[in-house]
Amino acid sequence: MIKDNKIYLYNNNFVSFLYLCILLIKNKIIPRNIKEIDYAPGLFDETCLLDLIEDYKIIDYLIKNIGNNNFNVVFKVFLSNKEDKEILIYKFILYSLKYKEKTIYMKNIKEILECIKISKYVVSENHKFKGFTRFKKYDNEIYYAEINPTNNILYLLSLHFKKRLNTDYWIIKDVNRKIYSIFDKKNFYIINEENFKIKNFKLSEEESNFENLWKEFYKTIGITERKNDRCRMNFMPKKYWKYILEMSDEV
Amino acid sequence: MNIKEKLKILANSAKYDASCSSSGSKRDRGGVGNTNISGICHSFASDGRCISLLKILLTNACIFDCKYCPNRKSNNIKRAIFTKEEICELTMNFYKRNYIEGLFLSSGIIKNPDYTTNLLIEAITDLRRKYKFNGYIHVKAIPGTSEILLKKLGALVDRMSANIELPTQNGLKLLAPNKDENKVTKIMSYVKKNHSKAYVPAGQSTQMIIGATKETDLDILNKSDKMYKVYNLKRVFYSAYVPVNKDNLLPTLASPPLKRENRLYQVDWLLRFYKFKINDLVDEKNPNLNLLIDPKITWALRNLEKFPKEINTCSFDELLQIPGVGVKGAKKIYSSRKYFKITFKDLKNMNIVLKRAKYFILCNGKYYTSEAMFKKEIIEKCLMLEDLKEKRQNIKQLCLFND
Repeated sequence: MIKDNKIYLYNNNFVSFLYLCILLIKNKIIPRNIKEIDYAPGLFDETCLLDLIEDYKIIDYLIKNIGNNNFNVVFKVFLSNKEDKEILIYKFILYSLKYKEKTIYMKNIKEILECIKISKYVVSENHKFKGFTRFKKYDNEIYYAEINPTNNILYLLSLHFKKRLNTDYWIIKDVNRKIYSIFDKKNFYIINEENFKIKNFKLSEEESNFENLWKEFYKTIGITERKNDRCRMNFMPKKYWKYILEMSDEV
Repeated sequence: MNIKEKLKILANSAKYDASCSSSGSKRDRGGVGNTNISGICHSFASDGRCISLLKILLTNACIFDCKYCPNRKSNNIKRAIFTKEEICELTMNFYKRNYIEGLFLSSGIIKNPDYTTNLLIEAITDLRRKYKFNGYIHVKAIPGTSEILLKKLGALVDRMSANIELPTQNGLKLLAPNKDENKVTKIMSYVKKNHSKAYVPAGQSTQMIIGATKETDLDILNKSDKMYKVYNLKRVFYSAYVPVNKDNLLPTLASPPLKRENRLYQVDWLLRFYKFKINDLVDEKNPNLNLLIDPKITWALRNLEKFPKEINTCSFDELLQIPGVGVKGAKKIYSSRKYFKITFKDLKNMNIVLKRAKYFILCNGKYYTSEAMFKKEIIEKCLMLEDLKEKRQNIKQLCLFND
């Protein structure tokens, strides 16, 4: 492998990123960095944009070469908000090609350890939002929720709600990334703000009634003699409170 | 009475039940919703406990007069009863807004056990059939219910359980004169016998009140051990006694025995997942757990000749015995050490907390500090000091929050 001082760019999506990784591997290049296409380079940075083909087949190709477990780590780290995650993933892929299914046990290698930690963080944040997401019912029979996760979990979370709330229309908005997931009772579609606007939505009549009932239940169910703010904060960090109905009044 | 007031009364009466797990069941086809095999916590109450189920009573009216219970007959409190429509509407609307994972339904006993159980069956049948609810349901079985009704009820729910309440018959006789342990165990036997994918798929659990009677931790643990073995329980929950009633037969406590409850849970885990035996931790001579030091450390200090353990060579079971190393940690160490020799730095990187573990291990023959430190008195002191240090920090942090 040859070290290269360039910064390689990809088209802001997973498939394009993977294609770039494979090209770099084939050309035996370890680049200085890999960045999204709108990256603003520094004065002495040399950037490079290769001709990238965006084809989902690249995913199967990669899985065939590094195995399912390693691919899972790659995908989850890509969804994280970790800075410089791309070059980290690239190094992880290189190790995966070398160690195959043993990779995830090689925790004495810095990049592998870091990738596994980040991937776990993404998975656990997604699991938290399976619980913390709160829908409001609108008078057009659409359930709408806003979430503020640290990582880009909207796709993973939508997989969960596709199975769970399969009999209703729903929309989830990631307010940090300004993207929406829209479910039509069959599939969900992830769309960004430029292509989608919510207009004239009105809450359903019963909405405030059930919200009040839930808040009442929440207040009642805690045992005063056992009050424990620290414990609650550990499980339900304050950064999420704004969009958790029963906590939103306290922010 | 409006529904808000009812909800307040009937959630308030149900909140002392510790069970809120929503795991162990796999419902994924047909109807509204599904269940998640590992369970999902939707919120956390002001006491830090997870909220995953809409935990309510059908009614808080009761013909029994158990001394410790807020709903006992002799208490002069407001009584309420939900209609089945109210239960279904609350559950469905909360579920679709993703407030909850499902329903936890218990009840005071009105008229007789069968009459009450019939009401539970009617409500849950509607929820499953009419409203097509396919999420998690945990129902409390009423002791004394006939088998025909238990059969019907269990086929509708994910978990059905009955609370043993107190660890000995004597305790029960004293505080819950209307309750009979045999009636509770009869339900457990029935559920165990009929348990299948279609009948109580998530299994059963039970609950014991801690500190309302004089039983020792040894009594309590022996009782749970028996329950786990005889009835295949998924969980025994411990609930620190909260004094809600005044009665000559009840102890007066300044605060609920939370530390004791915590220690019992720690032992419960050691017994179920760490291959410990009850007699390793408590015996006739020391029938109660040490409240100052956690049970694994207590055991390790008493058996110091078995330590320090070499992280790179000791068996998996031995890894489990190291204070500060959990089941996940042991698995991480075990699967990684095949590929490289683990150092203290690697352990830290693998998120193994060394605070306690460092006194009990060797990495490639090396002790964390000087080996001269490997003495019971010294380790004990160090651990106590660290605990103190941590508490002081806690106090400081709490003050900061209050400002």
